[in-house]
Amino acid sequence: MTIGKLAFHNFKKSFQNYFSMILSLAFTVLILFNFTNLIYTDTFQALGVKNKDYIDIIIRVISVVLLCFMFFFIWYATNVFLTKRKKEIGIFIFMGLTNQKIGRLYMLEIIMTGVSSLVLGIGFGMITTQLFQMILLKMSAIFVEISFAFAWQPILITAVVYLIIYSIFVLKGYRNIVRSSVLDMISAARQNEYVKTNSLLLMIKAIFGICVLANGYYLAIKESGMNIMGHLLGATVLVIAGTYLLFGGFIPMVFQYLAGRKSFLYQKERNLWINNVIFRMRKNYRTYAMTCVLLTSSVTALAAAFAQKDRYDNIVHFRNTYTFQIVSSLPDLEDEVTKLIEKDNDVAYHGSLPVFFMDSSHFNSYFGHGILAFSDVKKLAKEVGLDFPYEKLEEDELILANHIVLLSLIPDMRNKTVDIDGKTYRQIDETTVPYLGYLQESQDYYIVNDKTYEELLSSYAETTGYTEQNYTYNYRIEDIYNYAASLDELDELVHNTEESYTGRVAIDPNSDDIRWIKVEYSLCVFMFLVFVVASGSILFMKLYNDAFEEKERYAVLKKMGIAEKTLGKAAAKELRCAYALPFILMTVSSFFAVHSLEKMMSTSLKMINFVSVFIIFLFFVVFYLLSVLFYRKNAEI
Amino acid sequence: MNEKTVVEIRNLTKDYGARGFRTKVLKGIDLAIRSDDFIAIMGPSGSGKTTLLNILSSIDKPTQGFVFLGGKDISKISNQELSKLRRDKIGFVFQDYNLLDTMTLQDNIALPLSLNGISGKTCKEKSEALAGLFGLTEHLQKYPYQLSGGQKQRGAVCRALITEPEILFADEPTGALDSKAGRDLLECFKTVNERNQAAILMVTHDAFCASYAKDVYILNDGTIRCRLSSGGDRKEFYDRIMEMQVSMGGDLS
Repeated sequence: MTIGKLAFHNFKKSFQNYFSMILSLAFTVLILFNFTNLIYTDTFQALGVKNKDYIDIIIRVISVVLLCFMFFFIWYATNVFLTKRKKEIGIFIFMGLTNQKIGRLYMLEIIMTGVSSLVLGIGFGMITTQLFQMILLKMSAIFVEISFAFAWQPILITAVVYLIIYSIFVLKGYRNIVRSSVLDMISAARQNEYVKTNSLLLMIKAIFGICVLANGYYLAIKESGMNIMGHLLGATVLVIAGTYLLFGGFIPMVFQYLAGRKSFLYQKERNLWINNVIFRMRKNYRTYAMTCVLLTSSVTALAAAFAQKDRYDNIVHFRNTYTFQIVSSLPDLEDEVTKLIEKDNDVAYHGSLPVFFMDSSHFNSYFGHGILAFSDVKKLAKEVGLDFPYEKLEEDELILANHIVLLSLIPDMRNKTVDIDGKTYRQIDETTVPYLGYLQESQDYYIVNDKTYEELLSSYAETTGYTEQNYTYNYRIEDIYNYAASLDELDELVHNTEESYTGRVAIDPNSDDIRWIKVEYSLCVFMFLVFVVASGSILFMKLYNDAFEEKERYAVLKKMGIAEKTLGKAAAKELRCAYALPFILMTVSSFFAVHSLEKMMSTSLKMINFVSVFIIFLFFVVFYLLSVLFYRKNAEI
Repeated sequence: MNEKTVVEIRNLTKDYGARGFRTKVLKGIDLAIRSDDFIAIMGPSGSGKTTLLNILSSIDKPTQGFVFLGGKDISKISNQELSKLRRDKIGFVFQDYNLLDTMTLQDNIALPLSLNGISGKTCKEKSEALAGLFGLTEHLQKYPYQLSGGQKQRGAVCRALITEPEILFADEPTGALDSKAGRDLLECFKTVNERNQAAILMVTHDAFCASYAKDVYILNDGTIRCRLSSGGDRKEFYDRIMEMQVSMGGDLS
């Protein structure tokens, strides 16, 4: 039998054993293929060039993230495969095969596994691209006809990328086998000599881990002002390190302590599964920690996506507060404009607001601001039904009215001071209520005391010789999609002469220059699901392979006359533990991560946090049940 | 003979193989084991020793005949009852110890009892008491890899005895031990039997090992060829077993 035939025979025979690996690898190929495919299809073309560009950038970023993920995933999967295969094919050493030949045997087998995964992944990928795009568009509330477009580039790119990464680890495995000693290869049946870890070492690791993790959590929620980026980076590093230390130190320590308390341990199946968890923890803690970190990041990413979506909705709402805004030097235009609009449309609400603009030279900042009088804003808010929670404003106080931004890294600036023309005012609040709708998007405004307003206006007039203040007339119509009908009447008002000027703003509700945010949001939701499934399958794969190692132990227990039902229960409890530990730590970590995000985006994301954790819970329940099923099959209980 | 019968087999036969190619491994065996018995079963390879042990311990099922365990016919009871019977009435000792390498000796010994839902305190006390009896007290917190073969096998006996079974089945228990450790273990068996803790049925090919038993059955070609009973003197019994081996003209190992 040639090496090739032997390898094929082995591959065929053990196909079932590597089924979990093939499936997981195929899954990563499928995801990468689907994302790459998005770049080459013209689905998003319909959103306009600007949006398409943004979306391409996002997809590219996600593809890079996926690529990194694929790299680690393949690394992990081939490593598991190598350890297992090495023991099984090591026996050929007795038949006179050299390490090189065994290495070649391994390479051939793993290449077959890899190619099957690739074919499966791309095959299913091609079937699912349509579905994937459909769901994506549906979620982004974009209505475009999807045509079945077949592009060969994504297939080629996915295959090449996958094969390059895969070959790196195939060669790594080959080198590992060639360099192994005979003893390494055949020591499969060697007894496990290190079940427990040294308690002192564990204790040190545990204490250190808890400190690191607590520090990370603290940094995440701490008020950090302008240092927020640095603190977040620090928090991320600390939480990742803390998670590894916790799984490597604190959790085994707790279990070892429990195992030492015999009256606790000797309760039904506990004796069996707690000892097994301790034993497995030594080998698997990195997997648990990795899963935990992966899940925490995916929850955070999802929360960020929702926060962005929230912002998007707010921005759209902000813009649509008014349909028409007339800015004019002329007072008392309100009734005239109302009449003009009512020719073609019904006015839902309207209000006017005087304002004057001061350029940056009057402030201690780089930007000019519009100045509004307190009682004028109060009156307008009442007329158009906007929130205005302020009772009064002192002469040296002001409120900043600005717009909503997508992502702000600048923390709350309450109680800062503002200098206007050398006089200092206390900024008592910052509001994003759209008193001036679209006009407030491009310009920040200060709301000041009425008396201050008069003073500022007259001193401004003195220094600039420009006495006029402006008037804004703001209208929202009932049917915002019919806005175009009133444009011709309103345009009659527009003029710019020596004596006076009038300009108008009209908001097109169909404008979609920031529609890409919605796509980004749907892609983030997908990424979340991808990573949850990936974490689940990493754990699943690990437990699937562990089961083969446990076979012997369960055989002994069965020979001792212990009922299969009891063994099944013990195994189920052990598996539950494997899924529960990363899940619990992820829940805690994600709370802190989302909390810091909440601060950054100044929005409440508790609900998203809760829902995403719950979704992960559901996924994990499914994975757990599957694990129990396969575990019992593989361990023959 | 007023001791109660623990296991009884009547006219036991066992076939292997498909129709037309059947091999009879056991050909009508009758045997009754009472609660104070210490029986060794000897026989050459392929004589059916292990098959007999497997059937007696309810791991395998007979083709014909009856096996009564604790007064119940095991071919007529449900799986659940059978596993309960196995759990409560039978203890096993294997040639290769079969202690779980993931737990300490004490955890191993206490395992069957704790799985039965006995309170943790009782499990702890009983495991310690048994370990004391077998000289393992200072090794309780060690893992199997830290123990010698003899210690492991004695640990395995403790584990088999902790549920207070009526009978202990031992399959070549000294097979993997050196002669000193083997002797120690057989002494332990003797003590257990003399204290009336459990009947013992041991499969062995070693005449020296068999001489520790009260009765020796020699199995050949699927039937019990003869039975030897100890007169009390182990050395004399050993000589008789050897003589029998010679007279049967074969190697019984």
